[in-house]
Amino acid sequence: MAAVRSVVASLAALLLSTASLGAQTGSIRGRVVDSATSQGLPNVSVVVEGTQAGTLTRNDGTFDIAGVSAGAHSVRARRIGYAAHSVQVTVPAGGSVTATFMLVQQSTVLTEVVVTGYGTQRREAITGSVATVEGADANKGVVTNATQLVQGRVSGVEIIQNSGEPGAGSQIRIRGGTSISASNDPLYVIDGVPLQNESTTPGAAGIGSINPALPRNPLNSINPNDIENITILKDASATAIYGSRGANGVILIQTKRGANAGNASEMEYETYVGAASPAKTLGLLNGDEYRAFVNANLATLGANAAAGLGPANTDWEKELTRTALATNHNLAFSGGSAQTHYRASLNYFDQEGVVQANGLKRYQGRLNAAHYALNQKLRLGLNLMSSRVNNTFSPNENTGGFLGGLFTNMVIFNPTFPVKRADGTYFETGCAVTASSCTPSAQDVRNPVAMANQLSDVAPETRLLGNFNATVALTEYLSTQTTFGVDNTDAERRTFAPRSSAVGAAYGGYARQAERSLQNLNFQQLVTLSPHFGSNDLEVVGGYEYTKDDNRGFDAQSQGFITDVFGVNNLQAGTQASSPVPTSYETESSLVSFFSRANLSLSHKYFLTGVLRRDGSSRLAPGHQWAVFPALSASWRLSEQDFMRDQPFGISSLALRVGWGKQGNQAVQPYQTQLLLRADPGASYPFGGVISSGLRAAQVGNPDLKWETATQTNFGVDYGFMQDKITGAVEYYQKDTKDLLLEVSVPQPAVVSTRIENIGSLRNRGVEAYGDISLYKAPKRTLTMGLVFTKEKNEVTSLGDTSRKFINTGFVSGQGQSNQYSQRIMVGQPIGTFFGPVFLHVNSAGQQVFACTSKSADCTNGETTNPSDDDKQVIGNANPTFTLGVRNNATWYNFDASWLWRAEVGGDVFNNTALVYASKGDAKQGRNFLRSALDQPDAINEPSKFSSRWVESRTFTRLQNVTVGYQVPTSFTRGRATRLYLSGDNLVLFTNYSGYDPEVFVSSGLASRGIDYLVYPPARRYTLGARVQF
Amino acid sequence: MKNHLTQLAGRVKLVLLAPMLLVLGQNCTSLTEVPHDALTPETAFKSDAEILAGVAGVYAGLRAVEWVGYETLQDLTTDASIVPTRGNDWYDNGQWLDLHRQTWTPNSAGTLAFVDGSWNDLFAGVAKANLMIDVIEKSGLAQARKDSTLAELRTLRAWYYYMLQDMFGGVPLVTTTELKQYARVSRDSVFRFLEKELLDSRGNLPDKWPAGSYGRLTKGAANAILASLYINAGVFDKNSGVSATAYNSCSGVTVTGGDACAGAIAAANAVINSGVYSLNTNWLNNFNASNKSSPENIFVIVHASDGSGIGGNWPMRTLHYNQLNTGQGGPWNGFATLAETYNAFDATDDRRAMWLVGQQKSFETGQNVTDRAGTPLVFTAKIADVDAANEAEGIRFNKFAPIPSPPVGSAQPADYTFFRLAEMYLIKAEALLAQGNTAAAQTEFNRVHNLHDAANPVTVSRDAILKERLLEFAGEGKRRSDMIRHGKFLSWTEASAHGHTDKSSQAFRLLFPLSSNSLGSNPLLTQNPGY
Repeated sequence: MAAVRSVVASLAALLLSTASLGAQTGSIRGRVVDSATSQGLPNVSVVVEGTQAGTLTRNDGTFDIAGVSAGAHSVRARRIGYAAHSVQVTVPAGGSVTATFMLVQQSTVLTEVVVTGYGTQRREAITGSVATVEGADANKGVVTNATQLVQGRVSGVEIIQNSGEPGAGSQIRIRGGTSISASNDPLYVIDGVPLQNESTTPGAAGIGSINPALPRNPLNSINPNDIENITILKDASATAIYGSRGANGVILIQTKRGANAGNASEMEYETYVGAASPAKTLGLLNGDEYRAFVNANLATLGANAAAGLGPANTDWEKELTRTALATNHNLAFSGGSAQTHYRASLNYFDQEGVVQANGLKRYQGRLNAAHYALNQKLRLGLNLMSSRVNNTFSPNENTGGFLGGLFTNMVIFNPTFPVKRADGTYFETGCAVTASSCTPSAQDVRNPVAMANQLSDVAPETRLLGNFNATVALTEYLSTQTTFGVDNTDAERRTFAPRSSAVGAAYGGYARQAERSLQNLNFQQLVTLSPHFGSNDLEVVGGYEYTKDDNRGFDAQSQGFITDVFGVNNLQAGTQASSPVPTSYETESSLVSFFSRANLSLSHKYFLTGVLRRDGSSRLAPGHQWAVFPALSASWRLSEQDFMRDQPFGISSLALRVGWGKQGNQAVQPYQTQLLLRADPGASYPFGGVISSGLRAAQVGNPDLKWETATQTNFGVDYGFMQDKITGAVEYYQKDTKDLLLEVSVPQPAVVSTRIENIGSLRNRGVEAYGDISLYKAPKRTLTMGLVFTKEKNEVTSLGDTSRKFINTGFVSGQGQSNQYSQRIMVGQPIGTFFGPVFLHVNSAGQQVFACTSKSADCTNGETTNPSDDDKQVIGNANPTFTLGVRNNATWYNFDASWLWRAEVGGDVFNNTALVYASKGDAKQGRNFLRSALDQPDAINEPSKFSSRWVESRTFTRLQNVTVGYQVPTSFTRGRATRLYLSGDNLVLFTNYSGYDPEVFVSSGLASRGIDYLVYPPARRYTLGARVQF
Repeated sequence: MKNHLTQLAGRVKLVLLAPMLLVLGQNCTSLTEVPHDALTPETAFKSDAEILAGVAGVYAGLRAVEWVGYETLQDLTTDASIVPTRGNDWYDNGQWLDLHRQTWTPNSAGTLAFVDGSWNDLFAGVAKANLMIDVIEKSGLAQARKDSTLAELRTLRAWYYYMLQDMFGGVPLVTTTELKQYARVSRDSVFRFLEKELLDSRGNLPDKWPAGSYGRLTKGAANAILASLYINAGVFDKNSGVSATAYNSCSGVTVTGGDACAGAIAAANAVINSGVYSLNTNWLNNFNASNKSSPENIFVIVHASDGSGIGGNWPMRTLHYNQLNTGQGGPWNGFATLAETYNAFDATDDRRAMWLVGQQKSFETGQNVTDRAGTPLVFTAKIADVDAANEAEGIRFNKFAPIPSPPVGSAQPADYTFFRLAEMYLIKAEALLAQGNTAAAQTEFNRVHNLHDAANPVTVSRDAILKERLLEFAGEGKRRSDMIRHGKFLSWTEASAHGHTDKSSQAFRLLFPLSSNSLGSNPLLTQNPGY
């Protein structure tokens, strides 16, 4: 310790001595403000050209540069995102001169200081692939969670909302996703503390074979309005600092802080109302069309089919959906003194789903506070968020077979039957339309409107996310930071199917309460050393991090009630004997890390970053728990070189970047390394008819389980043309993932036939580009454009043992589709490769005819009606060839407008909904089907067979958002800054895809992509909002 | 300045190090993972209750054998059972007809869904038995109890291996718990292993368990498996040369103690003469909801009828949607039999009552039911087009008849019968016939046949025995092995004319292929010839 102190002291002495200069100098003082808002701009680089003198502005935009040689100088202020501006000054010897800069905003994507994980960096010093989005620029329309802010705004980030359901999870892939069965989710870090990214709500009950809804989005509990900015770390040189969790990229979310200026207090209120309706319909037969079809086909359907027709003309799709409202209220206030500043916010958000009886409500509060003490050398920080999210689920499904949920029944429920019977109760098959009273019996096919309204499935969850940190500036160049973080969620799920409903009737009423509790504790200790040597800067961060996860759950169910009155509130009133036994579980895991990063900046021209992280995970096998993740990257700002001073070819800024690094993925469930024995019903055996508890080997342990690692190389060019009117970057990367965590068959005999192993490898390559262009600029009138382009390709390079030729994935859903797969993971092909028979035509007998090889048993002249395995081939690829995002921002006096287009070109989507329901044979079972089937020559008896017929192009162009705003003149508002806006989401979709929407994600097996089965109807949305600042 | 710094550093140390030590002191780099809601082999099996639970877990694996496992495939690949495609129901990638038409390949739908599933499920039974045998051997159980429990587990493991070799021939033969890649052994070495395990174990098994332990393996069960092993010795003991077209006799195969036919007779006699079993006078009572009390049962899968889903689901596979109500909806309207199989039952044979034909009724109300389009549901023998069948085509099984309104589909209490006493008589008759002792064979044959159809006496012959086994055991998972033994597996015809190509030259189909999935997990495995 003593040695360290003397080194620090001598360093300080050295630096102090270099700072003391001769007397022939003066100083420059001034302020840099935003030309539009006249607000001071912090962190602007102000440089005296031709010298090494320079500084960054303070938070209020002011700056002082001392020790400038007397005489005339050109002073240049630059902040990325703004056009650089130079001012001529004459510095008096021993005096000071004032310079004021008005910077004009140019770009919405870049900011000068970027959060890079365990610290910040100036944009120009970043050597890796890092993108940022400002919350204020992206927060338009109804934004339920923060990931929507990134969509279409950052290259190399693909975000697919899992469904149109409020709060539904989304699939986020940064640079294509590099894992097959381990998680492809990025790591979320909020205010420096990693978020536990697991489903917080307990799973669905599964009554009536309703499959669990997809996991909720982990960011639902965060109020998008609290977000200052989002940083996305894409390449390994940027993410390696997060080591074992960085393989899928890192999303850093910084929340808004209190104004630093001191004494200024601000208050802001924002509100909006939104209305949403389904953007498209599937196109089902109406009652009249269905009756006509049945009557025309009585020869096939049987004469009695006509007698089974009802009198009504019901559009079940219309009956089940609605115009859904959303309301949002935000109140935020901030302020403080020189020592203390804070920002607090409250949020109420209520979003209805476009499907009946479904929605999400959020109540949330946040407090961010900071206090400086000990002569400003100690900074104490507190970020605290507490939220209550009430999820109201509808029993909808994304996969499924025989019995369905809402959407299956919406499609198949006979349109000649009414929603309600004469007595006002819901119609169910088995009850006559005219019956004055009838209790529905258990049914395979249920009235979907009744299901939505009778079944109750709510999941309230409370999340506490907080961290406390203390930063100590030991010297000007040495500081330490200690952080404690906690992420705690307690969620319950209460499901009730009344005995009076067709679903509940089978159980005599069904009630379930399930609980899930997640706790994540995080401790970080950082030491930062940041000396300056003239124009050379060094920053070294060293740290230790400890994370512990604990998950617990409990689930109790009851059935056989005498009344519907109790709901979920009196489980003991059911007949326990027939109810499933209560279940509970607990898992825990921990992650320990040591890491270090050094950033070196030489003359503001050359930048070098090195990262070393050593992670240990309890989830992996002893002997393989620890691994080292290194990274190295460098950049060269050519535009700082003398030969670029004249800006050849209009190049106003230019930097080359290259980076290399290794990242890990340990996202497997805990305890995979051990053979575990569990006592559960699957292992019990009824000797003598009395059930004996059984112990079941629940998994085969893998004592060799280790990290999945990705090695990534990144090349980038940052450019600026025409005085930075055009800025952007182009990047190329290659990412090789090896030791993929993959669930594969194990050699027999084994107690369980599969386990997680490190098998195979994957390669992702891509080009990403973005550009921000100032198209037009005049006082109070501007037009800017941003372009985002992504092209990436992934390829499976190995599946381990050569005897493993492929892995089937992409389960096909629907009746008659058991054990049918639509995709294969194969060496040489991308993940998301569709594999199946090639459809040729429908023959005169109404049978589907497919291409075949002569090896196939039924093959005649290259055609068969019964394709065998030999006839299957690659029939599509779910990945787009490239994606494009175009956004514009315009201001015209007090008006502003922005719009965002997104396009994806190439790639396929499998219309599983059409495969199963574009089938006239449904009428044989008294069920409805898609109208498109009427145009097809298939016989009524022809079964649905998966083939290339159902794989469609997913190319689309979407007008994602249009927002028009009006800044109310302050003369009308007593000086309060007030903005009104109107916003529309998902307004236009150009595509040839026949289903709802080609942008679809359904979890159907290992790493499957692009399968559309009865997704929640996507919505079109209009929002009217206002924001007032006091 | 320096003084100030030191002071500050002191305070900082206090502020920072105290919590750091708190965290680091215990957990700095410890990554030990302790399961809280599961046991490991090291922490489990410390008590009798845990050991019984471990044994129950090995028995529980038998349930997977029945539903689209070995037992289902035994009938589905023959004339005993078919799952026609009924419009949009039961196409399922063609997997059902792939099995019935015997068009399977290592990658075909039926193989990947069911043959591969059986491979894994049967070996899981072996692995679970190996684990428990290891545990019991190391345990401090009293010697007599240890011996009987080991005998029980070894017999159960032998049954899993019996089914494996019947499907695949020689398989990896593993008796330890180590998970690694093993090569296949020859089929006759599996046969010899089975024989030895059964002979070694049966002496330590009880004749009969107390009622509360009904379902656990007995001496009778070991003898029944042994009798079945011996009668099939002409197939099971051959590494090659099993005839696809001629009878594969037990005669001439030497086993421990002599000729396999004699072994079959001795093993069958050991069961028959044990005094534990007798034929049920009401044949259908062998399969009804209370068949736990049937005196014919030698080895069954015990079922329970509560909501936990550890009951049988035979009625769900075969009955029409509208014939039964469960907490999970109606049955699935799948499995049927062929017209020629139904017609093999004489009108005077009481066993014909196992079929549902004609106008159908609800098992709850007794009222006539309709199909889903509203037409009266009348099951017909003829299936005009198995690729596009109607809901009502095909005669259905009612052998394991349902109870009304079960809480879930898999809650049927009728136990599934692996071995019944009737089979011992028919094995004995077949072995006596193979030895040339026709008169004695006729006597044993009549004990079964005349109980059900005395009006139509039958002269014993190989064909008569094969037919009698169909009448007696249809739906009980015997048909494929029987047809292979009798050289008929590839040449049975379907009067309803939906057979495929002539497969009589495809003798390789007597064994199933190893699926591409199994081969991929273990490069030491070799594929069966012909695939």
